[in-house]
Amino acid sequence: MRTIATRLRPGKRGAATVGGARLREALVGYAFVLLPMAVFGVFFLYPIGYAIYISFFDWGIYGKIASVGTHNYHYLFHDHVFGLALKNTLFFTFTVVPIQMALGLAMAIVVNQKIRGRAFFRSAFYFPSLTSSAAITAIAIFILNADGLLNKIVGGHTPWFENESTALWSIVGLISWTTSGTMMLFYLAALQSIPTDVYEAAAIDNTGTWRTFWKITFPLLKPAHFFVAVVSVIGAMKVFDQAFIVSHGTGGPNNSTMTMVLYLYRTAIYDVHFGRAAAMGVLLLVIIMAFTLIQRIAFGRPEVQ
Amino acid sequence: MRTSLGVLLALAVAAAALAAGASAGHRVAKVTTVTLTGWASSPAETASLQDTIAAFEKAYPAIKVNYSPINGDYATSMIAKFAARTPPDVFYVDSSVFPDWAKQGALLPLDSYVKKTHFNTTAFYPKLLNAFRYQGHLYGFPKDWSSLGIEVNSAMMAKAGITSAPKTWADLNADATKLNNTNAVPGGKPVCLSADWARLGAFVFQNGGSFLNATKTAATWNTPQVAGAVNYYLSYIQRGLAATPAQLGVGWCGEALGKQKAAIIMEGPWVQPYMSSTFPDVGYKVYPMVSKGPTKGFGNWAFTVSYSIGRDSPHKNQAWTLLSYLTGPKGMKVWTSKGVAMSSRSDVKPLPSQQPFALAAPYSHPWQFAPGFHTVTDQAGNELQAVFDGKESVATMLQNIQSLATTALHGG
Repeated sequence: MRTIATRLRPGKRGAATVGGARLREALVGYAFVLLPMAVFGVFFLYPIGYAIYISFFDWGIYGKIASVGTHNYHYLFHDHVFGLALKNTLFFTFTVVPIQMALGLAMAIVVNQKIRGRAFFRSAFYFPSLTSSAAITAIAIFILNADGLLNKIVGGHTPWFENESTALWSIVGLISWTTSGTMMLFYLAALQSIPTDVYEAAAIDNTGTWRTFWKITFPLLKPAHFFVAVVSVIGAMKVFDQAFIVSHGTGGPNNSTMTMVLYLYRTAIYDVHFGRAAAMGVLLLVIIMAFTLIQRIAFGRPEVQ
Repeated sequence: MRTSLGVLLALAVAAAALAAGASAGHRVAKVTTVTLTGWASSPAETASLQDTIAAFEKAYPAIKVNYSPINGDYATSMIAKFAARTPPDVFYVDSSVFPDWAKQGALLPLDSYVKKTHFNTTAFYPKLLNAFRYQGHLYGFPKDWSSLGIEVNSAMMAKAGITSAPKTWADLNADATKLNNTNAVPGGKPVCLSADWARLGAFVFQNGGSFLNATKTAATWNTPQVAGAVNYYLSYIQRGLAATPAQLGVGWCGEALGKQKAAIIMEGPWVQPYMSSTFPDVGYKVYPMVSKGPTKGFGNWAFTVSYSIGRDSPHKNQAWTLLSYLTGPKGMKVWTSKGVAMSSRSDVKPLPSQQPFALAAPYSHPWQFAPGFHTVTDQAGNELQAVFDGKESVATMLQNIQSLATTALHGG
C-alpha cells in the first residue's frame, strides 16, 4: 500500500527531503497568500503611503503645486472647523460604540436561545446592516421631518436633523440601529463557541440567569468584546454617508454634523486642496491606530479557550 | 470540405464588407462627436436643451453632440475627469466654483478662439461675462442667469390694502407693517427672510457694501455698509414683521409662500415653476427686487453658470463651435424660448414673465468670491445662522468672517 511516507524518497537526502517538503509547503502557503497580499499592497498600503506623501504638498487637480512641509498639519491644528469635526467624530464614536455593543450583545443573547421564529429574528435584526445606508438615511430624513412620523408618535415639532442640538444625536440613533445587527452576528458566533458544560455547571450550582450572564458569559466573551470594540470604533470614526446625506453635504446646522471624513471630502472637492485633505486622512489614521493600541492594552491578550 | 467552404464564404463576405466600407468612407464627410455635460435640474430644462442641441446639429451637420448629464455630485465627477485628463468637450461651470477651477488650470482660455472666429462678446451683460474672467483671460461664457425678485401673495396684499409693488426699503417696511396690523397673514409672518448670504447679500449691495475689494485681494466683510445691511435685514425679524423658513416650519421661503405662511418673499425665477406645480391655487405676483432708495441703492445677486472647455478636452475646435452657438444669439434664443432660463445676452430679450428679474442685470453681482473660499462661505452661513438664533452679535460675526476670508485670500 503506498503511503505518503513511501512517496518521500528516503535515502541519502532523507532529512533534507523532509525539510524540503516543509519548505515546499511554506512556499505553497506564501503563494496562496501572495495574490491577496498584492491586492492589499496595491489598494491599501500604496494609497496610504501616497497619501502621507501628498500631505506634505500643496496638491491640486493636476498634482504637485508646491512643497509646503508641515504647513497643512499646522493649518489643521489652528483650524476651528477641523477642531469641531474632530470633536463631533469623537463624541459620535464614544456614544455609538457602547450603544452598538450593548444592543448587539442583547440581540445576540435573545437570538441564541431556542425561541420560536429564531431564524426570522436573526435575519430581521441583521437586515438593516445589509441595506444601503443612503437609502436608509433618505427614509430617515422623511420620518424625522418636523411633520414626520416620529413627531406624530412622540409629539412636538422638532426638525430632528435640522436642529443643531439634535442632529448629531439623531445620526447616533440611526447608526446604532443599523449597525448593531453586525455586532449581533459577531457576538452570536462568540456565544455559540462557549462550551455548554460551563452552563451545565452553573445550573448545577443553581446560579440565577443574571449572575450566569455577568459572571460567566460576559467574561468569556472577552475576545469578542475586543473584536467588536475595535471594529466598532474604526467604523464609527469613519462616519460619512449619513452625515453627508442628512446635511446635504454641508456638515449640518452650524457644523453640528461635520465629521472628519466629511470635512476631508469637502476640502478635497470644494476647496480643491488635496494636500490638506490628505493631512486630515493621515491624522485620522494616527488617531484610529492609537485607539486600537489602547484597546489592545486594555483588553489584554486574547485568552486561549 | 465543409469547413474550408465555410472559411471561403466568410472570407468572401469579409472582403465584400471591406470594399463597401472603403468606398463608403470616401462618400461621407468626417463627423466629430463632442460631449456636452452638465447637471439636469428638471425635465423641462432637459427638453429645452435637447431642442437647442437639435438646432445646432442642423446648422452644423459635421458635428454630433453627445449630451450626457452627470447625476449626483457634479463637482466630484468633474474633478475626477480633470485629474484623469479626460474632461468632456463642453461642460457647465457654476460661477461659485469657477475661481478654483480656473486657478488650477482645468479650463481652456478662450480668447484666441474668440478672436479667430470674431465672436461678438459685447452683447453679454458685462457683470455676467466678467464672472468668467480670470487674470484677464476669458474661460467661459454665461449660458443664462437668475437674480432675485419679490414675490407677494395677491390676496393677502389686497386684504392689507396694498395696491402697488414695494419699490424701496421704506415701501417694504410700510407694507410689512400694514400686513402685520391687518393680520393678513394668520399663522405666519408678513415677510419670509432666509438666513442666507445668497439672499441677504442683495441688501448688502443695495447698501453700497461688498464682500471683496475690486482686485479680490482683501475682504470687505467687516465694514459699516455690510453691518448696516445685516442689521436692517435682522430688524424685520426682531420687530416681529418677518421670520426665517425654519421658524415658519417650512424648508424655504417658496414653501412659505405656497403654504400661505408669508405674504412677501425674496426668491428667483425658480419659484414660478415650483408654485405652478406644487401650489397652483395660491395667487401671487412677481415684482423686481427693492432698492434702498427710489433712485439709488440698487443691488442684486446674479446666479450664473458658464459653458467652458477643458484644458485637455479632445475636440477643442468643434467644442468652441458648439459653445459659441449655445451662447450665441441663435442658440440662446432657442434655449430661453420656453422660459426655463433667462438670457445672458442683451440682444436676446427675456420673456415677459422674466422681466422683473431681467431688469436687475446692470446691478447684479455674480455669486462668486475667490479661489479657496468654499469653507469661508460655509462658515459665513453658519455664523449668520448663529446671529439669527440670537447666539452671536453681528459685530462678532463680521469679525470672524473677515478673519477667515483674509486667511483664505492669503492662500490658507
